Amino acid sequence: MRKQLPLKISVSGVRGLVGESLTPQIAARFASAFGTYTGEGQILVGQDSRPSGLMLKKAVLSGLLATGCQPVEVGILPIPTILFLTREKRARGAVVVTASHNPLSWNGLKFIGPEGLYLRASEVEEFLDIFHQGEFTFVHSNRIKPALHEKQAGRLHLQKILGRLKVRAIRNRRFRVVADCANGAGATLLPRFLQELGCQVLLMNAEITVSFAHQSEPSPENLKELCRRVKEFGADLGLAQDADADRLALVDEQGRALGEDMTLTLAVAHVLSKKRGPVVVNLSASMAIEDIASRYRVPVFRTKTGESNVVEKMLEVKAAIGGEGNGGVIWPEVHTCRDSFTAAGLVLEFMAESGQKLSGLAESFPCYFLVKDKLPCPAELAFRAVLELSHKYRAENVSTADGLKISWKDSWVHLRPSNTEPIIRLMAESRSKSTTARLIRKFKKEVEEVIKKIS
Amino acid sequence: MKLLKLSISGVRGIVGETITPELAINFACAFGTMLASGAVLVGRDTRKSGEMLEEAVSAGLTSTGHEVLNVGICPTPVVQFLVKKHRARGAMSITAGHNSAEWNALNFINSRGTYLNEFEGAELLDIYHLSRFAQKTMGQTPRLIHELNPEEIYFSWLRSRLRVEEISRARFKVVADPCNGAGSKFIDKFFRMLGCELVAVNNEGNGYFPHDPEPRPRNAGEVASLVKATGANIGFLLNSDVSRVSLVTEQAETLSEEYTLPVVAAYYLKNHPGTVITNLSTSMMIEDAARKFNLPVIRTRVGQSAIIQAMLEERASMAGEGSGGLAMSDFQPAFDGFATMGIILEMMAVEKKRLSDLVKELPRYHIVKDKIVCPSYRLHTLVAEARKLYPEAQINDLDGLRISSREVWVHIRASTTEPLIRVIAESPVRNRAQVEVDKVMAFLTRMVG
Repeated sequence: MRKQLPLKISVSGVRGLVGESLTPQIAARFASAFGTYTGEGQILVGQDSRPSGLMLKKAVLSGLLATGCQPVEVGILPIPTILFLTREKRARGAVVVTASHNPLSWNGLKFIGPEGLYLRASEVEEFLDIFHQGEFTFVHSNRIKPALHEKQAGRLHLQKILGRLKVRAIRNRRFRVVADCANGAGATLLPRFLQELGCQVLLMNAEITVSFAHQSEPSPENLKELCRRVKEFGADLGLAQDADADRLALVDEQGRALGEDMTLTLAVAHVLSKKRGPVVVNLSASMAIEDIASRYRVPVFRTKTGESNVVEKMLEVKAAIGGEGNGGVIWPEVHTCRDSFTAAGLVLEFMAESGQKLSGLAESFPCYFLVKDKLPCPAELAFRAVLELSHKYRAENVSTADGLKISWKDSWVHLRPSNTEPIIRLMAESRSKSTTARLIRKFKKEVEEVIKKIS
Repeated sequence: MKLLKLSISGVRGIVGETITPELAINFACAFGTMLASGAVLVGRDTRKSGEMLEEAVSAGLTSTGHEVLNVGICPTPVVQFLVKKHRARGAMSITAGHNSAEWNALNFINSRGTYLNEFEGAELLDIYHLSRFAQKTMGQTPRLIHELNPEEIYFSWLRSRLRVEEISRARFKVVADPCNGAGSKFIDKFFRMLGCELVAVNNEGNGYFPHDPEPRPRNAGEVASLVKATGANIGFLLNSDVSRVSLVTEQAETLSEEYTLPVVAAYYLKNHPGTVITNLSTSMMIEDAARKFNLPVIRTRVGQSAIIQAMLEERASMAGEGSGGLAMSDFQPAFDGFATMGIILEMMAVEKKRLSDLVKELPRYHIVKDKIVCPSYRLHTLVAEARKLYPEAQINDLDGLRISSREVWVHIRASTTEPLIRVIAESPVRNRAQVEVDKVMAFLTRMVG
């Protein structure tokens, strides 16, 4: 097998191994390319809590300053907050030093446009052209502006969300909440947010530390500790953010992890009950979404995986709600971005208004079993492997909009090469646990065989 | 023509053309790779490009595993002093000294607080050219400390080296022009410490240079008129990182920057007899000053790095250049504008003489400096060609060509900081130096074509 290529440049930005593929030189070049692309103006610069964040941020600042942009440092902040602020402050864009759920030795850069949205695929292409051509518009030294610092960045974001929620109804319930911030940027705002909602909060992993307390992906395996604490604390629910705080997973009052896809299901059900409108989700979100949407007779649009794809479609169809099955809820009332704070707010409001327990709400939906898995595969083989398999299954109900999704009546399986890591993601859903497990086993084996064949 | 000059003591160019974030990161990474792990100081002057380069340099140094001690806007001599105080592995000072505002430069300082010597400089350039940097994977957030008021310990050390009481008693009125460079604000503290009344001009530290930050008569107009208007005892003109000083007398005469070294020598050598180091381009006045005390003068290549290296090797008493930069054994082996200003005030206080009287004791020479722009790749060839002008003469070729006769000396050399050939001649006879420079310039102009 060839050496795995550790620098990934994709629609979601650039990611790499610090000190090997992701160097300050590359970070500065990307920042200069971005500054050239946006033109002179204010650019927000944020970061997550990774140890290499400071070093890369310095490189980014330098690259932006040289192109005449005025960086506004917002420090360690949740991604959704930075997205929100970019639009609110009428900045030209934002650069965030983060590799969201990748391991600690990784880091990366994300690029945000003036609307407070990730760059669209077409914009990324233009921007990457500048990067690859290496022709940056460095300004004359007397046009270099000093960097600014924004200290009140989080407050504006929380105010906006609180303004869209029935705050009094939530406060009256005096929810007991255990919140796991995964030692990520969410810790800067989640405690204040829950306090505003009148919750009694037990915080976990709320220090922004150099090492994440657990694998920051909020999948059920990583939430054992949270489940235990929820029972101990007698909480109404447990909230788990990922390190970027754009995704949210839930634990019910019995200490059971609900699975990331349930966050979106709950949010969709709640929002549609108040305001009907199209729903946009990606190909790997649960089938439960269609069940709920059909109840309200609203259409469901499925897009390729990736926040920007979902967002683009949501704007196009003026969706009421949307998101990704990985716990990323997008509620356009606040902004069209995955936002764990809006997600938490919607779930709390749903509980407050329905008067039900979280477990009760979760059980009210048709029961599906969704399992996510992954297997390592070098980036250059991943696409070929998935292509091979799509040939094999072309007789079935197949979508190749994003990797390969094969749908049957009550189940589906979805294979897609990751944009950010050298792996293939594997998801399956059905009405029974054993069927889902069988699907996963079967396709894992098939992918492995194909990889062996073509490598 | 894009200008970029790599020399052993640093890299210098025009911001946005050749001085880019990536270049700065590469050099910081090379420097970080060369140094043993530990703290590295980063300081800068007030240029608008300073922050951009400071961020780049911090990124590069932390990526190679170093702790960065950021002293912010800080004169180079203070950075050099702090390297030793903090037992740092080295320092980077971001300043283009006397160059105009669109320039900037990275200057590398070793753990002894001096500019890199030629071996260290060669090693740095080797690492840079190989671009194999020891970048770390970063298990922990690197330490990056912002040092506030870094000058405090420097000034208290300086106070212990000067006869502060006598200076204070003289109650001097001083005009100073730091050209809105790194010396801005620092001079307030400095002259207050010496009990002087300060009349400051261009003391905003905003990086806007009202004139080129080169201490020389051409730029001393404001200082001279303020000296006259306020009846000050002396005027000082500083470059952007306070490594060079030129003087204005109490009669508002703007002295050539060549005077700073011999004026200091006339006093300092009396109390600290020893060898004097200077470069091949500096006025003969220094020989006259040293001769009074029967002390030898050694001439080296041009540049702080070469001068200071010679000073340390020869255990010299003082070392300096005609540009207004000088170092004294009692202070630090670095061109230090504060020490220079301090010692001149001490001399005026102790000897109870006015600056114009001190200057009168020096012989008058006529020095002429000129330069011709020339592509970097032809600099040294053209300088060598100029040898044809002097077929018979004894030539010193330590740094370019230096030809001296009884009535005139001329020095033709390639600049290490800009793509220029400098031609300097000096003579006690009026017009003689000009004739010599004209002769060489005519030849070079023809050759450049």
